[in-house]
Order: sequence, then C-alpha cells, then structure tokens
Amino acid sequence: MNFRSTCRACSSLFRIRMAEGLQYRASAISGVFVSVFWGLIECVLFTVFYTYSDNGAWNNNGLALSQTISYVWLAQGLFVLQTMSIDSEIMSKINNGDVGVELCRPLNLYTHWFVKSSAGKLGTSWLRSLATILTGFLMPAGYALGAPASVLGFACFLLSAVMAFVLCSSFAMFVTAIRLNITWGDGPTYMLLLFSGILSGTYLPLRLWPDFMQTFLYLQPFGGFADIPVQLYVGSLTPSAALPAIGLQFFWSAVFIASGRTIMDHKLKSIIVQGG
Amino acid sequence: MKRRMIAEGKIYYKYLQMHLLSGMEYKGWWLMLIQVLVVVISDPIATVLLFSRFGNIGEWTVAHIILVYALAVASFGLAESLCRGFDYFPWQMLRSGDFDRLLLRPRSLFVQVAASRFHLHRLVRPVTGICAAGWALSELGVSLTPGKIAILAMALAGGCIMYCGVFVLTSGLAFFTIKGLDWIYLLTNASYQITRCPEPYMPRALKSMFSFVLPMLFISFYPAATVCGWGYPQWLGYLSLPAGAAFLCFSLLVWRFGVRHYKSTGS
Repeated sequence: MNFRSTCRACSSLFRIRMAEGLQYRASAISGVFVSVFWGLIECVLFTVFYTYSDNGAWNNNGLALSQTISYVWLAQGLFVLQTMSIDSEIMSKINNGDVGVELCRPLNLYTHWFVKSSAGKLGTSWLRSLATILTGFLMPAGYALGAPASVLGFACFLLSAVMAFVLCSSFAMFVTAIRLNITWGDGPTYMLLLFSGILSGTYLPLRLWPDFMQTFLYLQPFGGFADIPVQLYVGSLTPSAALPAIGLQFFWSAVFIASGRTIMDHKLKSIIVQGG
Repeated sequence: MKRRMIAEGKIYYKYLQMHLLSGMEYKGWWLMLIQVLVVVISDPIATVLLFSRFGNIGEWTVAHIILVYALAVASFGLAESLCRGFDYFPWQMLRSGDFDRLLLRPRSLFVQVAASRFHLHRLVRPVTGICAAGWALSELGVSLTPGKIAILAMALAGGCIMYCGVFVLTSGLAFFTIKGLDWIYLLTNASYQITRCPEPYMPRALKSMFSFVLPMLFISFYPAATVCGWGYPQWLGYLSLPAGAAFLCFSLLVWRFGVRHYKSTGS
C-alpha cells in the first residue's frame, strides 16, 4: 500500500471525527463552563496563598502571582488534550472484539488508531480550549490571563503547544497499545493516565513543587503536555530555553510512538479476539 | 412495604456481589486498588505542596485544610461506591437504550440503576479519607468524645446523601440532554476542591453557592468547626443530615419527572 492512499485515508478519518465531535456543541459548552469554574477556584486559591501565607511574598519559585494565574488559565486550555481515558470508540472495539474487523482493513492499525484518537481529541477540544482561554482574558483584573511575556515567547508557545498535541496523542496510543492486553483490565492504563495528569502541571504548576524535584520534573515526559508550553508563554522559561524544551517534547513523542508501535505489533501477533 | 424494602435490599446486595466477582476476573484487578490509592494521595498533594512552599495562612495549617477536605472526599467516595450506577447512567445506560430493559422489570428502578455498577476500588477513597481525617484530628490535638464522633459520622452520612443526590440529579437531567453533561464535574470533583481554600478567606459568592446551592460547607466545614471549636455557632455542625437530605429530595423529584418523560433512545 502506498503512502499517498494512507494519507488520503487519514485525512478523511480526521475530517469525520472532527465533524462528529462538533455535533455535540452542548457538550463543548458545558466543558468550557467546567474549565472556567475550575480555573476560578484555582485562581482564588493561589491568590489566598500568595497574599496571606507566611512566606507568600518571598517564596522564591520563579513564578509571580500574575504568572501563576496565567498559568492556570492556559493549563486549563491545554488540559483538554490530555484525555483521562482511551478513545471510547477504540475502547469498545477492544472490549467487544471488533479489533478483528479492524485488522481486515488495508491500513496499518497503529496509524489508523493514532489518527482516529488524535482527531477525536481535537474534535471538540479546540473549541473548548479557545473558549476557556478567551474567557480567561475577559476575567476581572486580578484573575485575568495576562499577555505573553514576549513575542518570541509567544511563537515558542505556539510551536510547543502543537508539539504537546503530538506528545499527548502518542502517549494516548501508547496506553491504548497496553490496553490491548485485555486480561489485565483497566488498572494499568488508569494508573498511567493518572500519573501523566499529575506530572503534567495541570494540578499544580511544576515550579511550585519542591526544589529538589525540579530537575526530574523538567526531564520527565509529562511536563511536555502543558507545563513547557505554558512556561514559555508566561516567561518563566525564556525563549533561549525553548529549543531544548521543545526538543525534549519531540524526543518523548518519538519514544512513545516507537514503544507503542512495538507493543502493538507484538500483541497483534498473539491476539485473541474477544466476543463475536 | 417493609417486605418489599427487604427484597430490594437483597437485590441490591446481589448486584454488588455480582459486580465484585466479575471485576475480580481480571488479572490486574488489584492494580485498581493501588490506582485509587494514588488518586487519594495525589489529590491533597497539591495542597500539601502549596503549604510546604508558602507556609501557613494565619492560623490555618495543613491539618485544618486536610480535615475539612478529608470529610468532603470521604463522603464523596462513599456516595461514589454506593450509587455508582447513577454516575454511569447518562453515558452508558441511557444512550445505549439499555434503560428500556430496566423499565420492564417489576423492581425498583432506583435500586436497579444504583447497583448497575460497582467498583470495589472506589471504597479506597472513603477509607483513606477517614484515616486522613483521623490524622488531622490528632494533629490538631482534638480528643474524640462520643458526641464529636456522632457529629463526624453525621457529616459523612449527610455528605454521602448529598453526593448521591448529585448523581441522581444528573441522571434525571440526562433524560432531557442525552449528552453534554460535563458540567456535572462542577458538582462532583470540582466541588470538593473548594474545601482546599480556608473558609475565612473564601470569596462570599463561592461561600454562599457552596452552602445554599450545594450544601458543601454544611457537610465538611461546619461539622469540623464544631468538633474542633473554631468559634462558629455549635448548631451549624448538626445541619449536615438535613441539608444532604434536602438536596437528595430535590434530585429525586427531578429524576421522577425525567422518568415520566422518558422516550427511548438507542435501538
């Protein structure tokens, strides 16, 4: 099978899933509601800590309050990329044995699912993240998302955000490949998704974690989901540090794609189709 | 009436047993327990890390926050364990049309839906929540008398009822919306995040929303304040049960209205 027809198939898959996602506008709107509300709670919490706590003024972490608030909004915007579960359509295919049907298609299963799940992720979420970030701009002064630190920083942010999407998709596929081993159930996949969520910085900006963990937090793969792009935006990572940071995102994407493919190929050799 | 209640109770128990056994067929089922343990540890870790970075807020220490937070999380976990079916209902049962089948059975709808799912690992959350509350109480130097234990137990029960109400409410509304229920996270996972903020510093709008719309403060903060004596009126601590029950009653009305207006979806 040649490269061109694969590309054509992928682009139509992408279009179908996007259109499907856009049908549920109510879902996207209520999603924005949740993100904004969550963002507000976080803003209140950080404001309380920065203003009233014992060492709020000199906590020496490289993030000022206004930067932290921008961080919260952008992280909420990027959060939707990290789905906390495997694409539901693929999941049900694994569970009810439709993997067998999928294998009959003249398309590499990994590529097929990669496109499908990443398109599914993008389908509703680009609207949701844009709306969340816009609302962040419109918030009253103390709680508003600030302007980017510099023009160059903003460009790096955009580049890094695109890379974050690739990284999230490849990680989701890595988890899906593990889930193909149906006898293990959901436990391992949930745990992986959970760890990735915590370490991505959307729970708490990674800069606010203890100092001795900073090197680890920078090098681990999940910071690339949200922390690296957002830090480039708020300026706690300077544009000169952008290249290695984006390189790190690229490196981890490659690792996840390679290992996801290997696990999947290995698993498909001995797959037992469940159900009928 | 009484006999019927017992019969429904038995069915509920049978359902739970069935789910438990089917879940344990998976080789990795025990990993779920570790997974929830990780959730439970990681949830408050953001707060703990914040305190370690910023220090105390006035007289508010980690233990104060953890106590209020643990009460909220434990009651959420209890409701999640007992009423899990309602949580899944809009997504799975309603959209697939499986709900039609339940309507045909001569049994209580409530029990059938509530018990349509059960995960053992959900119980980890209330258990760790209660342990964390115990740790916080000992850290604060509060000695437990039977009266105080009763207040805390009532807070848990009231919270559990309130969160069951949240699940029932969303299921009831799902009859009209079918999809697009992401806002439910406002009332579940987002709602107990609010307890991370010390009450005296909470903006008034949030405070009134979480005491009168969703009686969140009544099931976590006020009981804790009464038990530890933080200078709030004593009687506020006893309101957890009535507040939770009121919320559940309201949700049941919505649910019944929804069932009456149900038109089948799916095949």
